[in-house]
Amino acid sequence: MYQIHGIEHYYGGKQVLSIGQASIMPASITGLIGPNGSGKSTLLKILGFLEEPTSGAILFKGRKVVPLSDEVRFRVTLLTQEPYLMRRSVFDNVAYGLKIRNDTGDMTRRVRGALAQVGLDMENFAGRKWSALSGGEAQRVALAARLVLRPEVLLLDEPTASVDFFSARLIQKASLKAREEWGATLVVATHDWQWLYETCDTVLHLMHGRLFQGGLGCALEGPWLIGQKGLLQRQLEDGQVVVAREPGEGKHLAVLDPSRLEVTLPGQNFLMKRNIKTLKGIITRLFLERSGSRVQTAIKVGELLITLHMEREKVEALKLYPGKEVDILYDPLEIKWF
Amino acid sequence: MDFIQDGFIQAFALLLNRDAATYSAISATLRASGLAMTASLLLGIPLGYLLGYFDFRLKKQIRIIVDTLLALPTVFIGLVIYALLTRNGPLGEAGLLFTIPGIAIGQMILSLPIIIALTATAVEAVDRNLCITLMSLGANRKQVAVTTLWEVRLGIVAAAVTATGRVLTEVGISLMVGGNIKWHTRTITTAIALETSKGEFGMGIALGLVLLLIALTVNISLAGLRRRI
Repeated sequence: MYQIHGIEHYYGGKQVLSIGQASIMPASITGLIGPNGSGKSTLLKILGFLEEPTSGAILFKGRKVVPLSDEVRFRVTLLTQEPYLMRRSVFDNVAYGLKIRNDTGDMTRRVRGALAQVGLDMENFAGRKWSALSGGEAQRVALAARLVLRPEVLLLDEPTASVDFFSARLIQKASLKAREEWGATLVVATHDWQWLYETCDTVLHLMHGRLFQGGLGCALEGPWLIGQKGLLQRQLEDGQVVVAREPGEGKHLAVLDPSRLEVTLPGQNFLMKRNIKTLKGIITRLFLERSGSRVQTAIKVGELLITLHMEREKVEALKLYPGKEVDILYDPLEIKWF
Repeated sequence: MDFIQDGFIQAFALLLNRDAATYSAISATLRASGLAMTASLLLGIPLGYLLGYFDFRLKKQIRIIVDTLLALPTVFIGLVIYALLTRNGPLGEAGLLFTIPGIAIGQMILSLPIIIALTATAVEAVDRNLCITLMSLGANRKQVAVTTLWEVRLGIVAAAVTATGRVLTEVGISLMVGGNIKWHTRTITTAIALETSKGEFGMGIALGLVLLLIALTVNISLAGLRRRI
């Protein structure tokens, strides 16, 4: 559906996005995850053709399209984190997209269907004013306004960030139905790990505007001090020290690649090679991924939260549980610099 | 102080007895201000949207000029329009001096900055998410503009109320451009000025109260409109 070729985007001279190559398959669900300010919303706006990247190309169905052109206006829709409901009734909000398309045939039935999809019944909600809705209801109305259009691409920017659990589940179910019913391509930016790993075909990790496929790295900003053997040292809040080789020119962000980390129980790292370093951490979350063979493991180390994908057998063998202390082994030479 | 009490009595007498001269002045007032408001709303709302919505070079400077024009003295507008419309002026051929349309042109210049400035302020205050929401629902630029203006409709009604009040109650333009010709271009405000200069304070107050009643009616109508939209 999308092919991204070397896009860069700047706000006020500051680079906020830099993505080399990436693609999103039709009818897939792609998860976007990353800390606040990592560029998720910007990427979604670019994918929604609401903003043009400063440089680079983004192809939609293999073709370069102009933002806001008729070619994409009616095919791609974005639900922002804090969607705006117009100062009119729920019905008029949901029907707005249909009206501007002059696609008003059987409108009442379609609006009823879209509202039902997000768990709102027409009789109670259609006539309500925008101001008479709770946060969760407003978010669901905003989603219904997109679903009624049956878009080819549905972009969701943290749709469950500020709603209650019940609304969040309804939003998730309604979004998934869009793919089931008409094969919509979904791109979802969220902090809801469970949703991401339960439903997404691909998870893209964004950090400082850069894309990491296959695992969320743990970013470490300075200050770095020069330590022994020409290695750099970064002290964490709990006093532990992370060691890394010197970065190349113009690189300042160190990232611990989770696929290169090893988890062991304290004191069991006796086979450790000489250049391998240890960090002590506490498991904060264990979560079985959709595949059933891997467990997502979040470990708190000082102020860092490192998330790894561990084989289920290994988690069972180490008898890991939230709250358990573990050692994380890493090679300073494998810390990447960006 | 009796003339104040007399003024109240006379005001109702003028209205109830359907005094021809008073109704002629009311008609002239409403025609001139109606024309002026129609023109300034048609021009001012799109200009206010452009000024409030888009970022462009000289935007700040234009905004300062528009805000300065809010303080335009009516006698100055009257003087300029008079100079333009007088027989020897550049627009003298149009024959608009001492006519209702002539007054309306001057009043439009008075009300236009109010409509532009208050519409621009309302548009600037709108949630930036609105534009993204509308575009992501498939709206083109024209539909974004129309919907945005509809979203700030209460602000535009407030602008219309403010401008109508200013236009209805101005005297400088009506006097200089209209010439205060009885049965023709005499408005309520110019009639008040005339009656007061003749020492007829009671009549002046009566006409002032009539003007207030008109303003009250206009504002009640607009308040009703605000509730409905």
